[in-house]
Amino acid sequence: MQVLNWFFQRKNESVRTKAKDRMRLMLIHDRLELPADRLSSLEEELIAVVSRYFDIDRETTRFDLQQYERRAALIANFPLLRSKC
Amino acid sequence: MSGRVIVITSGKGGVGKTTASANIGVALAQTGVSVAMVDMDIGLRNLDILMGLENRVVYNLVDVIEERCKLRQALVKDKRLPNLCLLPAAQTRDKTAVNADQMKTLCNELKTLFDYVIVDSPAGIESGFQNAVAGAEEAVVITTPEMSAVRDADRIIGLLEARKDEISQYRLVLNRIRPSMVKTNDMMSVDDVLEILSIKLLGVVPEDEGIIVSTNKGEPIAGTDNTRSGLAFRNIARRLRGEDVPLMDLDELNQGWLNKVVKFFNPARA
Repeated sequence: MQVLNWFFQRKNESVRTKAKDRMRLMLIHDRLELPADRLSSLEEELIAVVSRYFDIDRETTRFDLQQYERRAALIANFPLLRSKC
Repeated sequence: MSGRVIVITSGKGGVGKTTASANIGVALAQTGVSVAMVDMDIGLRNLDILMGLENRVVYNLVDVIEERCKLRQALVKDKRLPNLCLLPAAQTRDKTAVNADQMKTLCNELKTLFDYVIVDSPAGIESGFQNAVAGAEEAVVITTPEMSAVRDADRIIGLLEARKDEISQYRLVLNRIRPSMVKTNDMMSVDDVLEILSIKLLGVVPEDEGIIVSTNKGEPIAGTDNTRSGLAFRNIARRLRGEDVPLMDLDELNQGWLNKVVKFFNPARA
């Protein structure tokens, strides 16, 4: 069975993908000179600000650092439940 | 004559910077242009060994800068290629023996004598690196697909970017690629590294034990035929000269009979 697996199945991409993801995140921090814990405190503050205006779904709130050429972008996604006015 | 000054740099040590410098120098000279190689790793001289010229070194770069000899006296002619010269580093001095202005003056003088001036930078991002790039108009960044080497290459790219006014272009050479490990997804691919670093590719050099043999013989592998790493360096030299040379097919290197059987049954693995 092992041999058949080796023959017919594509090996999982975990090591390569993991290296690439770690690398990308590391370089975004390096380029911005951003300490590792800095982003989480920003995220907490952003959540607090948005929460003053809206009830948000904390479970599905997402923050994502993306790379565009040699620049980084912080993508935030706050699912809004209702406004607080 | 006004030649091109190209610095070979990497950030991290041990990724093949000096080997690449020697091979690019030899490969360029084989195309017929005149080439001077400058070893800027002052205190840790190595380029002379890779070229097999260690017995012919009389004067060095610091002697030229401190005017103990003329530039022409310090240039060591290659054993095989009459249009290739080496300006060796000083072995008994350190990086502080040279400053950026002196390096600029030296490169400007070399430019009037040679078509190409290849500067082998020391590892690191401190004064040795700063001096090595001082006289250059172009850069070649060397890295391997390892995470630590890619991280250091990124730092170097950032520093080169900050010198946009002097360094008109910089391109990447990805060294020691192991096609078999990329294929099994155990290491980052050429495209992965290019995407992460956002840099133009100058060439890819496969891992090759022949490099060690060629270093031991003092004959850069680009000068000998029938090796894939030698061909990779010759392609790099042609691209530096402006030729459009396609990348070699790294997959071809793994085509043993067993791989061919696997590929027949499952093209996705290939």
